[in-house]
Amino acid sequence: MPENTGNGRPMKNRIKVFRAMHDLTQEDLAKAIGVTRQTILAIEKGKYVPSLDLAFKIVRHFNVTIEEVFLYDAGTSTVDID
Amino acid sequence: MKKNTFYLLVGFIAIVLVALFWYSEEIHTSLLIEFAFIAAVAVLYLARRKVTDLVEDERSAKITEQAAMRTLQVFWVVFCAFSIGAVMQILHVPSFPRQAPPVPPAMILPIRSMGFIQLGLLCLMIFLYVGFRIYYARKYGEWETDEE
Repeated sequence: MPENTGNGRPMKNRIKVFRAMHDLTQEDLAKAIGVTRQTILAIEKGKYVPSLDLAFKIVRHFNVTIEEVFLYDAGTSTVDID
Repeated sequence: MKKNTFYLLVGFIAIVLVALFWYSEEIHTSLLIEFAFIAAVAVLYLARRKVTDLVEDERSAKITEQAAMRTLQVFWVVFCAFSIGAVMQILHVPSFPRQAPPVPPAMILPIRSMGFIQLGLLCLMIFLYVGFRIYYARKYGEWETDEE
């Protein structure tokens, strides 16, 4: 279960899938976008939510849109109104 | 500069500082060690900027930022409480109703021990920072195991 992003809504991502599709290791991706391997690992595991800047760097590296990689699960924070 | 070279430099500067501390104690000139310490920290900051194999990204910056903020949030309370107590002693705050003539209270914190107290507070700040840094490093996955 990914950690909350800070506003109570979990952010999920498919970086691992895209890495596998592009045959990239965490180290390769980290070097390509200028972060540490630990940061890629933390993002994949949902421990850390990247900034918009880093998120765009990641998706541009895979040449896809941001919605394809990052999934914003807003359904968990809906409020029932009677 | 490589990371290990930087760490060697840190060790060397620390040894020089210890030597300078004892020398300034010998010649009874505290200014020497004070300026040496400031110069040493400045040199370390400059040297750290030259380290090439130390990648700092936004996650490590966030860990540092959060740890520093929490340290400040806790430390200022302790420091303020201590300072209020010290100021009360310096001003000889009277008790009410006033009794004449007031007897100066015994100094709980003599001036000569202020250096040790300040060092103690500094150690507290360092412990707080290290503690919070470990906490946030764990929170943001610093020691997560790889499954690759």
